[in-house]
Amino acid sequence: MDLTPLAAGLAIGLGAIGPGIGLGIGVSKAMEAIGRNPESYNTLFVPFVLGIALTEAVAIYALVVALILVFVA
Amino acid sequence: MPNVTLSAERLFQIGPWVITNSLLGAVLAGIALVAVAIYVSRHVSAVPGRLQSVLELPFEFVYGVVRDQGGRTWRQMLPFIATVFIFLLVANWMGILPGVGTIGYYAEEHGERVLVPYVRAAAADLNFTLGLALISFVVFVYFGIKVQGVRGYLGELLAPQPRWLAPLMGPIELISNLSRIISLSMRLFGNVFAGEVLVLVLLVIGPMFIFVVSGLELLFGAVQALVFALLSMTYVVLATIEHAGEAHHENLEPAHGD
Repeated sequence: MDLTPLAAGLAIGLGAIGPGIGLGIGVSKAMEAIGRNPESYNTLFVPFVLGIALTEAVAIYALVVALILVFVA
Repeated sequence: MPNVTLSAERLFQIGPWVITNSLLGAVLAGIALVAVAIYVSRHVSAVPGRLQSVLELPFEFVYGVVRDQGGRTWRQMLPFIATVFIFLLVANWMGILPGVGTIGYYAEEHGERVLVPYVRAAAADLNFTLGLALISFVVFVYFGIKVQGVRGYLGELLAPQPRWLAPLMGPIELISNLSRIISLSMRLFGNVFAGEVLVLVLLVIGPMFIFVVSGLELLFGAVQALVFALLSMTYVVLATIEHAGEAHHENLEPAHGD
């Protein structure tokens, strides 16, 4: 029995848990900060996008593993 | 239906150079940029017309960000950051155009008839993103050496203060610097390739939702271009920071006080 699709599904599924929580925390804090102090939007924007990108990168690694499992292995 | 392959498909060969459809996508994006740039620079005016205003938008945006956050070498690195941003913006958005990834010819592969598209989104090929990440790596090492000197930069990298932690921190710094190449390239490739796959899957299960996903792809393409440019900028800033002395504390200040 070929378990490769299962492995790919598990890789992206489990790999998305952490970044999902992390993105939620990050975005909620940024929204909170903008809500409290709307002028902080301009200073927040770049660090916010960078933080989101770095958090999301973890999920992308899992995605790349899953894609390699499906299309290469 | 179009097939999904992880690597870009080979179209033809000129001497030793294999031309893949992703390379064609990158070249087309470059040609489009150069053509528009030549046309607009001929018709440039102090009061920008409609086309000129639209084309100035992304540059003004990245100019503002680099000026405000780019540290002390922002002026020297602006051309690189802006080029990366605008090129990736065009290359990513080109992948959403109808026909890119869907118009092609049929080829026999492992006894199956598969569609090989003529043009593929440039960043949906790891070679392209890895090349960009390597350029970005060379650029931030170059700026680090230019600002701090060879001894200063490599010393900071391999034997950071405090000295007694150097055996631990040196390798960590080195690995974290090298891993930037992997993370930069994998992030861009993963996002764009996943977007392509998502559009293809949706094309099969529910073509009426394709507009929603195309809209999302516009957003993701712009965000990924921005992220690549911003991270390149941040790496240059990190490489040119004076670690010893007040400069470091100065940089930390805004985080605490308000």
